[in-house]
Amino acid sequence: MKSYLLLFILSICLYFPSMAMNFSLDSNPDSVAVRGIDNSLYAQDNEQNCLRCHGELYYTIEDTLSGSVKRRLMGEHLRVSRDEFYSSVHWNFNCLDCHSEGYTAFPHALELRFEESWGCIDCHGYDEKFAKYNFEGIEQEFQKSVHYTAMEGEFTCWECHNPHTYKVHAREAQSSENFIVESNNMCLTCHGSPEKFGLYSDRKLGGVMTKHDWLPNQTLHLQAVRCIECHTMQGDDVMVAHFVTPKDNAVKNCVDCHSQNSILVGSLYKFQSKEARSKYGVLNGVILSNDSYVIGANRSLFISYGGIIAVVLTLLGIAIHSIFRIIIKR
Amino acid sequence: MSEKMYLYPVWTRIWHAFNAVLCLALIVTGFSMLYSNPDRFVVNFSSAVAIHNVAGVLLTFNYFLFFVGNIFTTNGKHYRMKLKGLGQRLFLQMRYYAFGYFKGEESPFPVTTEQKFNPLQQVSYVGVMYGIMFVLFITGWALLFPEFILKKLLGFSGIFLTAQLHVIMGFLVFVFLFIHLYVSTMGVTATSNFKSIVNGWQEKH
Ligand code: HEC
Ligand code: HEC
Ligand code: HEC
Ligand code: HEC
Ligand code: HEC
Ligand code: HEC
Ligand code: HEC
Ligand code: HEM
Repeated sequence: MKSYLLLFILSICLYFPSMAMNFSLDSNPDSVAVRGIDNSLYAQDNEQNCLRCHGELYYTIEDTLSGSVKRRLMGEHLRVSRDEFYSSVHWNFNCLDCHSEGYTAFPHALELRFEESWGCIDCHGYDEKFAKYNFEGIEQEFQKSVHYTAMEGEFTCWECHNPHTYKVHAREAQSSENFIVESNNMCLTCHGSPEKFGLYSDRKLGGVMTKHDWLPNQTLHLQAVRCIECHTMQGDDVMVAHFVTPKDNAVKNCVDCHSQNSILVGSLYKFQSKEARSKYGVLNGVILSNDSYVIGANRSLFISYGGIIAVVLTLLGIAIHSIFRIIIKR
Repeated sequence: MSEKMYLYPVWTRIWHAFNAVLCLALIVTGFSMLYSNPDRFVVNFSSAVAIHNVAGVLLTFNYFLFFVGNIFTTNGKHYRMKLKGLGQRLFLQMRYYAFGYFKGEESPFPVTTEQKFNPLQQVSYVGVMYGIMFVLFITGWALLFPEFILKKLLGFSGIFLTAQLHVIMGFLVFVFLFIHLYVSTMGVTATSNFKSIVNGWQEKH
């Protein structure tokens, strides 16, 4: 009993300080200018033009002739949350930067609805300031994706990147923050909602959960990895892969993630993996600093070597004893 | 003419057979998960996970047999040891294995129906069965239902810490197994103990 206890305590003693020594997480420099309604140059305009209706639960219509006023419910999908808008990447925008002037009139004219919206690349393409995102590379990958090829023209970057709420997740997330849920929600707005999905396809939406029941601990997996880990082809020059492949090409092999050469290090943890490759004396330690543990990909070197040494010493002891037994013939 | 003792009642032999098979399955599948690799594997990952889960659950049930059996039968007495003089007794046994054994001395703690384990066996069996196995079960079941594990403990992923504890204990059982098997060859003859754990009877010296 004692000898095991000792061994156990010893391994713990060896193990934890080695992790603690490297324990210096979460030091994100204050990024971006402070977003928020108070700092936006267009908050007032937006309020007057649009948000008095689109930011509220109700809007009113007025018959100028009779002067009678009616209250109407603003459809949920037409509502723009101020909190979300003013903390999104395009927080310092006038609604009219993206939407035509015509929308200041109500009811909105029919032809406005057929105007094409700007694409991300129109503003971000070939701009030094945004070079680190490589919008051009993303555009290329997107054009190979199932969504683009199946629904060209209809399916744009905006379908996933909500124009009024999108924030950069993985790149700006502090390591402990859970950006995975937010990224997955970008897919689940359609793949988890029959109504929204039906806008794009007549196919019946299969339940996402039933399509993934081959995964054990499904809930845990879908909280610990993004959909795009399995559903994209990983390229080198883009930090977040956008080449969504047909379902038959999706990652189904456990060992792709659960092994020393886990694909997760090059995808989910791409932003952090450079500086944190061998953190904690654990293989692929970057995964641990994100509060996950991936069997097969995370191996404690201390436990591995400790274990090997223990086994070798035991076998050595047995071998020596055996030799004496053979020599002395017992 | 040697006389025989009945040391391993039927239930311990059944328990032990299951225990041995399941432990081996768990060790093999456990290691293939921990050191999983796309190119070379003993058992492929998803089978390893499935087998490991089933074997782990079965082993827990099997453990209950052992636990309850040792409470309600006389076999339990072999697992109760006096702490007083334990160090001395352990030393005697170790000296016997290191020297006396080769000189043909009598074992300082001969096997009797009253005391079938020598002090070293006793300590390691108690340690493994009531210490290590116990921790393995707790951590193993926790990993089966990870949603109940603390998300974070002392700044680390709770699942990670649980898994590490599980792995350490797994290694200890692995090491135990070598010693256990080897020491079992040091009975009256090299194979006599193995016969005993199958048929229950042990020859007296
Ligand atoms: C008086 C309230 C009101 C104001 C002010 C208002 N809207 Fe609307 N808007 C609505 C209502 C109601 C709808 C849904 C009915 C419809 O589509 O005409 C709507 C629909 C829309 C649509 C969806 C059109 C479609 O069918 O695709 C857009 C885009 C839009 N508004 C943009 C704006 C913008 C931009 C502004 C500010 C410049 C604005 N609205 C100001 C009430 C308003
Ligand atoms: C960065 C550009 C951009 C800005 C700024 C912007 N929008 Fe939009 N908005 C879009 C795009 C693009 C769409 C069409 C989305 C699509 O096709 O799915 C849209 C759609 C809408 C819709 C219709 C939603 C629907 O589901 O049909 C409304 C309403 C709307 N915007 C209101 C606003 C209001 C109010 C503001 C200002 C607070 C605003 N937008 C600011 C780009 C923008
Ligand atoms: C009408 C022009 C326009 C369009 C269309 C547009 N953006 Fe932007 N975007 C900008 C501007 C200007 C900024 C800088 C805002 C700032 O500095 O606060 C910006 C900021 C960003 C940022 C933050 C950059 C940083 O480093 O702070 C991201 C990410 C981004 N946009 C992504 C997109 C995506 C994705 C799309 C398409 C779905 C898109 N943008 C469409 C003009 C646009
Ligand atoms: C099928 C859904 C989908 C489509 C379509 C899509 N994106 Fe994305 N995009 C994502 C997801 C998911 C992320 C990861 C979220 C994050 O970490 O910010 C992302 C992230 C990004 C980022 C941040 C990358 C970084 O390095 O931080 C940019 C920029 C971007 N997308 C641009 C685009 C552009 C441009 C298009 C159209 C050509 C587009 N996206 C189309 C899903 C999509
Ligand atoms: C705006 C809605 C929408 C969003 C957002 C969306 N998808 Fe899709 N997706 C669709 C539709 C519609 C189809 C079906 C295309 C077709 O009919 O072939 C589809 C098809 C797919 C397929 C191919 C399935 C097959 O049968 O081969 C995959 C994989 C997929 N989506 C993954 C994703 C992922 C991953 C994301 C998030 C990064 C995402 N989708 C975001 C609407 C969406
Ligand atoms: C661990 C890898 C993995 C993850 C994570 C994952 N998927 Fe899948 N997904 C697959 C595989 C593999 C298939 C193909 C299953 C089959 O054909 O039996 C699939 C199938 C699909 C399909 C096609 C379903 C159909 O109609 O047949 C869609 C859509 C889809 N996934 C969306 C998602 C979304 C959305 C997420 C994130 C919430 C996600 N997946 C997360 C591996 C994954
Ligand atoms: C896309 C990468 C990926 C794939 C593919 C994948 N996993 Fe995982 N798996 C993970 C991650 C990440 C975790 C860690 C979750 C955490 O700790 O937060 C995990 C956790 C687990 C766990 C541990 C759950 C627990 O009890 O703590 C098991 C078991 C598991 N995976 C089995 C499998 C099996 C079997 C397959 C193949 C059918 C598979 N995984 C495929 C990424 C993956
Ligand atoms: C890791 C899994 C194993 C554990 C935890 C374990 C544990 C034990 C325990 C507690 C006993 C005493 C039983 C009693 O009488 O109460 C015992 C006896 C025995 N076991 Fe195992 N055992 C394991 C695997 C094996 C294997 C794989 C073999 C060989 C095939 C084996 C061979 C024996 C023998 C020969 C005995 C009788 C000798 C003795 O009492 O020391 N065991 N084992």
